[in-house]
Amino acid sequence: MKILTLVRQVPDAEARVKISGGQVDLEGATLVMDGMDEYGVEEALRLREGGAAVEEIVALATGPKRVEDALRTALAMGVDRAIHVETDQALDPIALSRVVAQVAQAEGVSLILVGGQEADWDSQALGAATAERLGWPQLTWTNELALEGDTLTGRHDVDDGNESFRVPLPAVVTTQQGLNEPRYPTLPNIMKAKKKELRKDTLDAYGAAPTVRVVGSDIQTRARLNKMIDGKDPQAAAAELLDLLRNEAKVIA
Amino acid sequence: MTATLPAADVGMRFALSDDQRLIVQHVRDYCRAEIAPRAAEYDRSGEFPRGQLRGLAELGLMGATLPEAWDGAGLDSVTYALCLEEIAAADASVAVIVSVQNGLPEQMLLRYGTDAQRERYLRPLARGEHIGAFCLTESGAGSDAANLQMRAERDGDAWVLSGAKAWITSGGQADTYLVMARTGGPGARGVSCFIVEKDRPGLSFGRPEEKMGLHAAHTTTVTFDGVRVPAENLVGEEGQGLIIALASLDAGRIGIAMQAIGIARAALEHAARYAAEREQFGKKLREFEGVSFKVARMAARIEAARLVALKAAWLKDQGQPYGKEASIAKLLASEAAVDVTRDAIQIFGGNGYSREYPVERLYRDAKVTEIYEGTSEIQQLVISRAVFAEYSD
Ligand SMILES: Cc1cc2nc3c(=O)[nH]c(=O)nc-3n(C[C@H](O)[C@H](O)[C@H](O)COP(=O)(O)OP(=O)(O)OC[C@H]3O[C@@H](n4cnc5c(N)ncnc54)[C@H](O)[C@@H]3O)c2cc1C
Repeated sequence: MKILTLVRQVPDAEARVKISGGQVDLEGATLVMDGMDEYGVEEALRLREGGAAVEEIVALATGPKRVEDALRTALAMGVDRAIHVETDQALDPIALSRVVAQVAQAEGVSLILVGGQEADWDSQALGAATAERLGWPQLTWTNELALEGDTLTGRHDVDDGNESFRVPLPAVVTTQQGLNEPRYPTLPNIMKAKKKELRKDTLDAYGAAPTVRVVGSDIQTRARLNKMIDGKDPQAAAAELLDLLRNEAKVIA
Repeated sequence: MTATLPAADVGMRFALSDDQRLIVQHVRDYCRAEIAPRAAEYDRSGEFPRGQLRGLAELGLMGATLPEAWDGAGLDSVTYALCLEEIAAADASVAVIVSVQNGLPEQMLLRYGTDAQRERYLRPLARGEHIGAFCLTESGAGSDAANLQMRAERDGDAWVLSGAKAWITSGGQADTYLVMARTGGPGARGVSCFIVEKDRPGLSFGRPEEKMGLHAAHTTTVTFDGVRVPAENLVGEEGQGLIIALASLDAGRIGIAMQAIGIARAALEHAARYAAEREQFGKKLREFEGVSFKVARMAARIEAARLVALKAAWLKDQGQPYGKEASIAKLLASEAAVDVTRDAIQIFGGNGYSREYPVERLYRDAKVTEIYEGTSEIQQLVISRAVFAEYSD
């Protein structure tokens, strides 16, 4: 069987992003593989290392040329080959799912791993949309996976706790923090990753035009209220502080 | 034309290759996430950073420049140098242990060891399963290493080592010690190099020195009380020991230069951030020329030192002589590190003098780079000799 893992490149969590011309300007920002996708890559590798009959692990990314770096990271971690659908258009999750579903079919994969959430768009739609297109079952927010033959078992979070599941492949699985501890690639593997196949594809072939258009972006700023409490009477000041924290800021119950 | 203008197939080019860029970025990310956050804690506890070294070993950094055939990561010297800067910017104690391991015992075994010695001692060092130490200095022989007194006597098919070494990095923690001892008469030609394993009877270690900085990098005396090692533990030829040691120190000095640059860069980063936030007289500190020009000089010193160190590393990769450049790099980088970290404390004001902030640790860690692997005075001796040799005809 083959596993497809989706890789997205996003600004580092500590990167300071700028806005120019109403768009997020990533010039100069450190870009990394989305942490959620690292869990996916790591889990694919672990399933194989755990003895499952995984023939091949393929990483897929869409986006501009720079996205190659994220794919190289996946290759350095141990993925066998990569497909880069190169485009400067930003794809919303629904458009992206069209690419993922078509690649999955063309490659004959039976397990797709995608992030439960996307660090930049913060959307959770990609896994569901991909499953819907393919008519496959989806398991969201997984925190444990095991493969035996063509059966995937595991645990995933639901609203009021978590449940165990068993599902025949093919299936779409979304990851989350805690699924595993992603490995750091070794330095020799980073160099070897360059020799692995990284196939380029154009977006035209997939008919996946985004329907959502970003018309403006803003950086969220929090206005400070600079509220001062008179400290002359410590008891009263403490009581007032408690009241503000409880009823105005609502940070304590 | 002097030896400072070597020709190469490619002219001057300062850009990193794709591989180099990806590796250095990766090591930077790794060190920021895994090493830097615990540096202050290790400085306080003085605990030997085993876990940190294990993590770096998994990346391949405990055998960074060794060929993959010997379980190394196969990095070129330039990439390795930049990796050391990243490690040092995160934790200078970890960096010196890594630098000694890669630069000294491993280089000595790779270049002068037999295949049997490499198989047995180099592989575990390269994989980071073993830690290596370099034993040259004695209480009576520091800068004047050729005057070392420790003896090794031949006894049948063994050597018996007696004497004491001082200031040994990773003493007591290391598994494999490369030891310079006198097998012949006085002077440089009477010294040979031996491999001594940690568990040999008669080998003992002093308590870690209470140092000004580099608290997590243990430094001890190592005492040899009639330690017997088999004849096959001799590295290279009899009488070749000091040549082996000094040749490795050339490479080691690039490592210490990069360690110094890493420390200095960390100080610059902290100082620049602090100057952008702290306000006095209604202005950010960085708006005062007295502060901003200091920052400019700090950056200039670091950049200049880094360029020379990378040039030395590049010369090494080209198979060209690089001893003079390595000494220049070590001299400039260590002085820059001491000055830049001291200036960073100044920019932090009272906070700079406090353990709550990182710059006082950087200052304490920086000072030793002017001392070990040849003091600044010894670097000047090496550089001036090279200069006089160039202009002697
Ligand atoms: C933390 C630490 C770790 C170390 N790790 C190791 C290690 O792993 N292995 C190892 O073998 N050694 C190690 N050393 C030892 C280190 O290399 C020596 O301390 C160094 O070579 C200086 O020798 P010394 O301390 O005996 O000083 P000395 O040689 O006594 O020098 C004292 C002063 O005199 C100056 N001086 C000496 N000779 C001259 C000269 N000809 N011209 C001008 N000035 C001169 C020196 O520059 C210095 O300023 C370590 C030292 C430290 C502090």
